[in-house]
Amino acid sequence: MVAPRAEQARARRLAAAAIPVRRRIDLGPDALLGYALLSPAALYMLGLVGYPFVLALYFSVSTVTVAAGPSHFVGLANFASLLDDPVFQRGLLNSLIFTSVSEAAKSILGIGLAFLLLRNLPGKKVIRGFLMLPWTLPISLSVLGWKWMFDPQFSVINYLGNQLGLLHNWNPDWLGDPTYAFLAVLVTNIWRGFPFAAVVVLAGLTSIPQDIFDAAKVDGAGFFTRWHYIITPMIAPILFIGMIFDVVFTLGDLTIVHLLTNGGPVNATDILPTLAFRNGILGGDLARGAATALFLFPVLFAGVIVFLRILRRREV
Amino acid sequence: MLVSRRKLVDVTLYYLALLFYLVLAVFPIYWMAMATLKDDYDLVDPDVSPFWFRRPLGLNHFTYLFTQTNFLVWLQNTFIIAACVLVITLAICIPGAYALARLRFLGAEQIGIGIFLTYLIPPSLLFLPLSQIVSAQLHLVNTKWALVLVYPTFTIPFCIWLLMGFFKRVPLEIEEAALVDGCNRLQAIVRVVLPVSVAGILTAAIFAFTLSMQDFIYALTFVSSSDEKPLTLGVPSELIRGDVFFWGELMAGALIAGLPVAAIYNFFLDYFVEGITGGAVK
Repeated sequence: MVAPRAEQARARRLAAAAIPVRRRIDLGPDALLGYALLSPAALYMLGLVGYPFVLALYFSVSTVTVAAGPSHFVGLANFASLLDDPVFQRGLLNSLIFTSVSEAAKSILGIGLAFLLLRNLPGKKVIRGFLMLPWTLPISLSVLGWKWMFDPQFSVINYLGNQLGLLHNWNPDWLGDPTYAFLAVLVTNIWRGFPFAAVVVLAGLTSIPQDIFDAAKVDGAGFFTRWHYIITPMIAPILFIGMIFDVVFTLGDLTIVHLLTNGGPVNATDILPTLAFRNGILGGDLARGAATALFLFPVLFAGVIVFLRILRRREV
Repeated sequence: MLVSRRKLVDVTLYYLALLFYLVLAVFPIYWMAMATLKDDYDLVDPDVSPFWFRRPLGLNHFTYLFTQTNFLVWLQNTFIIAACVLVITLAICIPGAYALARLRFLGAEQIGIGIFLTYLIPPSLLFLPLSQIVSAQLHLVNTKWALVLVYPTFTIPFCIWLLMGFFKRVPLEIEEAALVDGCNRLQAIVRVVLPVSVAGILTAAIFAFTLSMQDFIYALTFVSSSDEKPLTLGVPSELIRGDVFFWGELMAGALIAGLPVAAIYNFFLDYFVEGITGGAVK
């Protein structure tokens, strides 16, 4: 798989060089068929992603609620009032800490696991299947197992910790104490995401042609030299894209928090999506909910920019 | 001797590291499985080691789950939703992916990238406006059909890129041969390209199926009556009543629903990674 891809890329570059600079704009029968075949997908996404997105923007600058009634334009008032709200401030900060810490932990765990899986070992497919369970199980179901493990009275984590002499008769109330609850949410998220980080890194590692490694080894490059000069630059695009997706999933997912702590105790574990849900759906204040969720947008926008840059670099 | 000892240390460390990851990944699931078999009193009896049992193990939690709860209804809903999402996804993605893979026309690439980028807009940004669209404009509130309509928004971008990769691998020659033999373009697609892409279409279908089982937020937002819930919402929302947790039933429901999905997903995981990172490596 590896060599042909490199060859293809070279062939494509040669072919690109051979084509005259002026791009052919094709509006013949091919184009008509093309538009016809692609339009259902484009319209579906436009109608159910594009339109709601615009609607979210509109909600956020209005006074719209679930109750029917006149709504008017209020500019950035919703955003301003959110920024003054300590609950929102906490949620925003939590979202940022939650995402950055769990992203770092997932990357470290994932890179380690990827190198382990790079080796040949008997029964690798089965072992990998077990290792992937945190990622492949639907999160709303596996999080129930963690809720049981963090149970205030019957936590197996506390039991094991005490049996092994690590906790010294100390039984933290994992979901009832603000700090531990945040830790619990974080641990669950890291557990959920590290296998994905591992397979993404693994996909990157296996896409590096082996002869490059061999050549580097012959030239006397140690592990860290190889890491710095070969592995990092070659797998960077894959890593970036994998990470963008994971950041988006982590930032935008309310499942773990909603089911483990529901934002509690006293908003200690609230993140933007849970606040948006509470304001918009339970509270019926669509404007405030939409404004809350839109604070995610700068991060997503940055993700899109990075993604497009990687795509463009690929084409050069 | 020296070499072999070094190798021994190396191998030992390797397996210890692997064991660490295995315990990390599997322990919570093992723990869930334990809870499904143990008696309710054993689960909460402080004198019983959580790793052992005093009262006999049994399948009571499973019986309860299947006879006293809506589990089978949720299971059925899940299948109906996933099947409909699969059909919609394929009907939209097969032609779209073919167009992106084979036809050159103005704006094709931009539309393709645009569709893929929608994957980066998380449900938490869209669920509020969608809840309004679904209830006020489409009158699908509180039914599984709302989910059937919305789930393709995350299966389409993924499947279209996946299928595009498969279609690009179909040799151009066999398609040209069909055209020379008197097929028109559409006939060439149906009679030549699709039959040789069965593996890819099947992969996309299975993914549409499993991805639609990973959602929670849309189900939570759109569906509130028990009869319309999918498993991923029914199990966590209905088996906890107030402060009473039906731990055994919860875990049983979670595992019965989750493990098959996990197994299928795992089988096609490499395609998932390819679908996501495809933009970077191809």
